[in-house]
Amino acid sequence: MGTTASQLRKDLLSEYQELTFLTKQEIILAHKRFSELLSKEDRNIPTPRVPMEKVLSLPELKSNPFRKRICHVFSTSDMKDGSLTFEDFLDLLSAFSDSATLEIKSHYAFRIFDFDDDGTLDGGDLEKLVNCLTGETDDTRLTTEEMRQLISNILEESDIDKDGTVNLSEFQHVISRSPDFVSSFKIVL
Amino acid sequence: MNCFSDCSTTISLVTKQTLELWRGTMKEVGGKFGTGVLSYFKFLKWLLMFNIFSFLVNFGFITIPQLIYHPTPDIPAGVSFKGLEILTGAGYFSHTVMYYGGYSNKTQGTGGRSEYNMQLAYFFTVAAYMVLCGAALIYSMASSFRKKYVLADSGLGGAWQLLCSWDFSVTNEKAVRQRKNNLRIQLKESLSEKVQVALLPLTERLKHYGVFLGTWLLSTGMALGCGTSVYFLCQYDTWEAATLLLPFVVSLINLVVPLFYSLFKKIEHYSNPRMQVYAIIVRNVILKMSILGILCSYWMKDVANTFSCWESIVGQALYRLVIMDFLFIMLGSFFGEFLSNVIGTKCIQSLGVPEFDVARNVLDLIYAQTLAWIGIYFSPLLPVIQIIKFFILFYLKKVSLTQNCQPPRRAGRAAQMQTIFIAILFFPSFLGALSMVAYTVWTLPPSDKCGPFRGLNTTFSAIQIWMDDLNRVDAFQWTVWIYQHVIRSEIFYFLVSLIILVFIYIFRQITQGRQLLITLLRQQIVNVSSGELSGPTCLVHQSWCVRSGCVYVMMLLKCRSNIFS
Repeated sequence: MGTTASQLRKDLLSEYQELTFLTKQEIILAHKRFSELLSKEDRNIPTPRVPMEKVLSLPELKSNPFRKRICHVFSTSDMKDGSLTFEDFLDLLSAFSDSATLEIKSHYAFRIFDFDDDGTLDGGDLEKLVNCLTGETDDTRLTTEEMRQLISNILEESDIDKDGTVNLSEFQHVISRSPDFVSSFKIVL
Repeated sequence: MNCFSDCSTTISLVTKQTLELWRGTMKEVGGKFGTGVLSYFKFLKWLLMFNIFSFLVNFGFITIPQLIYHPTPDIPAGVSFKGLEILTGAGYFSHTVMYYGGYSNKTQGTGGRSEYNMQLAYFFTVAAYMVLCGAALIYSMASSFRKKYVLADSGLGGAWQLLCSWDFSVTNEKAVRQRKNNLRIQLKESLSEKVQVALLPLTERLKHYGVFLGTWLLSTGMALGCGTSVYFLCQYDTWEAATLLLPFVVSLINLVVPLFYSLFKKIEHYSNPRMQVYAIIVRNVILKMSILGILCSYWMKDVANTFSCWESIVGQALYRLVIMDFLFIMLGSFFGEFLSNVIGTKCIQSLGVPEFDVARNVLDLIYAQTLAWIGIYFSPLLPVIQIIKFFILFYLKKVSLTQNCQPPRRAGRAAQMQTIFIAILFFPSFLGALSMVAYTVWTLPPSDKCGPFRGLNTTFSAIQIWMDDLNRVDAFQWTVWIYQHVIRSEIFYFLVSLIILVFIYIFRQITQGRQLLITLLRQQIVNVSSGELSGPTCLVHQSWCVRSGCVYVMMLLKCRSNIFS
């Protein structure tokens, strides 16, 4: 990061601009918001990490049903605790930005939906996905029968090689036919 | 060096942030109501850009030269500014640069280099603006169509579309909970729809078709009836205050009859809820365009022959329509949203808080823009009124939305609706306005006593005269040649149309071939992977050459290589 907490160095700024899909003003804004999340001691260490709870306190992520998965996917921490450095944070914003391509977005969406991190979306992942999106409490969930029916519909639609799971290419294929995906997979500060 | 780059960065940041008009407001609306409602505001902003561009072009090339050479308008004695002009556009305004009649036909300047030919300027400004508008519309319509209509397979509507359309930009806690609720309801609905593929018995289907025929006949009949009543009302358009009656009636029809159309929803049963929305849109468009068509034909036929400065009269009529439309949109916002909210929450609880009807509001915007496009030729400064109107409308709708409406219940097919709206903006709206202006320019004789084209046979004769002038100068012979052999010859257009038709036929054959290829490859993937004895699932390279065909080819190749490795 920069030498002082409040200023991002120019060369880093242009480097970040080249490596991500963000514009200069978006990077500066991200830096400002990231610095606000840091505690006083952390500001002076070279690559500070923000713990997951602090990241989840951002208003853009607070009510998102996938907030924990997002943090886990973008985190590069060895302890797998979902903490983010500034560069992880920029990666996150870049994937969710306006100018990110469909391939990037669908790649990250796949990783976010893959709850057990095994590289495919099987029945368990799909069930967790549907529960995330419909509600956590018992009276808002779908019944077991409905869930089974829904998962079999999903697999019928998207499982091209009929192996019972949706892999990355099948996922990207079905996403490319959903025109609303690119405009709704967006988080802007 | 450093300082300069610092300065330029800050300046560009600041200008970008101010030019990014309404960015904060739109993010707020999108966060609470989702991308469907946001598309209305984005459409409004896009139309505003058209009008700002039109204003700059018209003001710069037509009005400023007129103001430089004739700074004070020559208003006849006895006419002074009364307050009524704001509403009627007649009286004092009709002698100013607001309308066609206020422009002179002389070539300004002292001759030699600093000449400014008002006739050519007027013609080319309007023509250039129309062409640029048309190009912008075609471009955005085509790219929207390609991204959102062709690639979106409407057959597989179901579950994946719903799941993948989760709007990550929604940040409000309550809105998120509501969306989860709506999504659950929609998932349950889609599950039950799949089960209910029952074929209705013949009598039921005949009854449905009978009802459809009845409602469509009724709605078209109503549209025609309104059109004829507007036509008869036109005949009474004589004294000054009564001139407001016609726009009032037109706007009233545009407000009331669509509400009537939405009553048809109760009787008709479309198999697909999307068809319902399309039916409403088509009916509204037929109504609005038929009224505009009747007004235009009245102006072209009767007004052009009767009045002396008829272009200004038409300009004034359009001005009144625009103002009255604005007042009625405000009224519509009041009744549609505020009162519905009050009724829904206090009186009839079962109705609930109203939703923001994106389709109806966008159609109102398209109608308003059609009026502005028709008015470009007759009233060059009409875009000013339109800009003010859209500005106020943005804030009005935003306030009404946040106070009175709830987020939409169905995860709307926002992208496909967007394509349809742009298509409606292009096809009946822009092309209709363009054909009317083109007809005026090409065939109608301009008025004798006012305007830049007085004394000529048709407006287009100005170009003919200019070409004759250029013919005498040797350096411009090529322009004259292009004019005579390309623009004015019919053979050229015939050949171009023929070539385009041939290309369309060829591309259609290619598309059909590709679709066949897709089906074959799909089947082959299933065959290949079910022939797999064991092994990991196909890991696939992403290389998107042709979206439809090559994906399958790549998957097939990788599956094969997995088996044989």
